[in-house]
Amino acid sequence: MKLKAIFIEAFRSLWCSRQRSVLALVGIIIGIGSVITIVSVGTIVQEEVLKQYKEMGTDILTITGRGSKTGLRLSDSLSLSGHCPDVRTAAPYTSQHGTLKFEGKRMEIPALGITESFKNINKLTLTEGRFISDLDVFMYYCVIGEEVLRKLQKLGVTDFVGAKVTYKDRIFTIVGVVAGVSENKMRPGEINRGILIPVTTAMRISNTHEIEKVIAKLTPGGNEQAAISQIKRYYKTVAKDLAVQVQTAKELIRQMQKQMRMFTLLLGVIGSISLIVGGVGVMNVMLVSVSERKKEIGIRRALGAQQRDIQGQFLAESVILCFVGGIIGIMIGLGASYIVARFSDWGFLISNLAVLLGVTVSFVAGVFFGYYPARQAARLNPIEALRAE
Amino acid sequence: MTESLLNVSHAMLKLSDIRKIYRLGPVELEVLKGVNLTVEQGEMLSVVGTSGCGKSTLMNIMGFLDTPSSGYLYFEGKDASHLTDRQVSTIRNQKIGFVFQQFNLLSRLSVLENVCLPLLYRGVNEQQRIRIARDMLARVDMSNLKDNKPTELSGGEQQRVAIARALSGSPSLILADEPTGALDTRVGQDIMNLFLDLNRNQGNTIIIITHDPNIARQCNRAIRMRDGILYED
Repeated sequence: MKLKAIFIEAFRSLWCSRQRSVLALVGIIIGIGSVITIVSVGTIVQEEVLKQYKEMGTDILTITGRGSKTGLRLSDSLSLSGHCPDVRTAAPYTSQHGTLKFEGKRMEIPALGITESFKNINKLTLTEGRFISDLDVFMYYCVIGEEVLRKLQKLGVTDFVGAKVTYKDRIFTIVGVVAGVSENKMRPGEINRGILIPVTTAMRISNTHEIEKVIAKLTPGGNEQAAISQIKRYYKTVAKDLAVQVQTAKELIRQMQKQMRMFTLLLGVIGSISLIVGGVGVMNVMLVSVSERKKEIGIRRALGAQQRDIQGQFLAESVILCFVGGIIGIMIGLGASYIVARFSDWGFLISNLAVLLGVTVSFVAGVFFGYYPARQAARLNPIEALRAE
Repeated sequence: MTESLLNVSHAMLKLSDIRKIYRLGPVELEVLKGVNLTVEQGEMLSVVGTSGCGKSTLMNIMGFLDTPSSGYLYFEGKDASHLTDRQVSTIRNQKIGFVFQQFNLLSRLSVLENVCLPLLYRGVNEQQRIRIARDMLARVDMSNLKDNKPTELSGGEQQRVAIARALSGSPSLILADEPTGALDTRVGQDIMNLFLDLNRNQGNTIIIITHDPNIARQCNRAIRMRDGILYED
C-alpha cells in the first residue's frame, strides 16, 4: 500500500522532469539494448550452427592421414567398416581443382572424387537424375552441385542429365543434379560449388593413389570413443607409419560452442561497458534530482518520513528509470537481432536468457546506481534540507 | 535516567536545561543557553524574539528536527532526549504538526495529496487517507480547492492547506514557525483566528514562534527569547 504510493510518486516525479528522465533513459536503453543484441545474436548463431550439424547428424566423424609417405589408401578405407564394428559406413573422398568447359565458356571449379556411400552420409538429395554409383568405376560421369547448375542455367542449358561437359580436358556426362546443402566442418563445401565424380576416375585424373579424407558414420547406438580406437588400430595394422586423426561431430560442436561462448562473453563485456556508462548517467540524474529536491526531502522528513522512506522513494525512481529503460532496451535488442538474423538468413528466436538477463540486469542496475544517491537523500539533515531553496 | 524517573509529569512537552552549541571551525556558538520550558496540554503559547535569538533552533528541537547538545527533553512524560531516526520520525509523524512561514507545500502534488502526506508515512490506506484529508480541508474551509495545485492558491489559502496537513495526523502538538510572516496583516489575522479556533474548540496544543507582538498578544501564554535564554512574560 505504501509501496504503491511510493511508486506512483516516483513515476510522477520522473514525469515532472521528463527531459532529464529521457536523457537518463537513453543511456540505459543503449546499454541494455547492446547487451541484449549481443546475447541474442550469439544465441541465434549458435542455434544456427547446431542446426547445420544436427541436420547432418552428430554420429559423423572424419578421418585424415598424417605424417606418412603413403597416406590414406582407397582400398584400406573402403574396407574400414568391415574391421570396425562401431563404424557403419565409410565414404573416402578426394578433392581437386580444375577447369570446366562448356560450349567455350570456362569456369574454375572443384571436383570431389566420391563413392556411392557419400550420398547417405552427407544426407544429399538429388533434384534430377541419379547419384554416382559404385559401379561407375573409372567412368566419366558427374553429378553437378547447386552453383554449377546455376552457371549452366545462365548459359541456357535446360536438360542437364545427359549433357556433356569437359573437366580437366576429359568429357564427362552429367548423370544427376544434387540439391544445395548447408556447409559445415564435416561436410565438404565442394558439394555446392563443384562436381562429384567417381573416386577412381578422380584418382586417375590427378594421378594419385591416396585419398584425402574419409567421412564415416557410426552404427546406430555405436560408441564414439570405441569407434575412434577401432579406426586408429585398423590403420595401424594396414599402414604402419600412418598416424590418423579422427574428428567427431560432437567434438567439433563442443569446440564451436566453446568458441562462441567466449566470443559472446567478450562482446557481452563490451556491451556491459555501455551499460555502466548508462548507469552512471542514471546516477548522475538521481544526484542532481536529490540536490534539486532538498527542500522536498526536508518537508517530507518534517512530516514524518523516515530515512528509509526517503531512500525508498529515490531508489524507486532509479529502479523505474532503469526498468523502463531495460524493457525498451530489450525490445530494441530483440529487434536488432531480428534484423541481423533476417539479413543473414538465420532463424530468429527470442532467447529467454537474453530477456531474463535484460530484466535482471536493469533491475540490478537501478538498485546499484540508485543506491548512493538515495542514501545521500536519506542522510540529509532535515533542518538543512528544509532551509534549502 | 534518574532525571526521567524524578520528573514523572504529564506535561505535553518539557525542556530541561537544553543547550545547543554550534561549532563553526574553532569558534563555538552557544545558541541555546539552558532553556527550561514546560508546555501543558491544551496551551496556546507564543515564543517571541528577534531573529537570531535562537527561537528557530528551539522550535527545531521541540519539533524533533534537531537534537540538543545537552539537556533533557520529555514528550508526553517520556524521556525523548536520545531517540533513533525511526523514533523521532514517528514522533514527528504522529505527535507533531508543523506549520511553516513559507507554507512548504509540495508544488507537484494537489492540495488533497499534500494533506494526505503525513498519513502516507503512517501507513494509512488510500481510502482512509483521502477521507481524513477531506475532513481536514473542510475544517480549514478549503474543500473547494482540494484538486488545485498549491501554486494556484493565494498565500493565505496555502497556509490553510498547510494547517490542514498539520492537523491530518491528529497531532498532540502544532508547531508554527512564523505562520503569518509571509502574509499581509488581514490574512495573517485570519490564520491566527483559525489557530485560536483550533485551540479553543478542538483542544489542540499550539506553539507559535513569531516576532510579531500582535500575534503573541493573542496567545494565552507568551514567552520571550533573548540571546538563547527564555523569559516568561
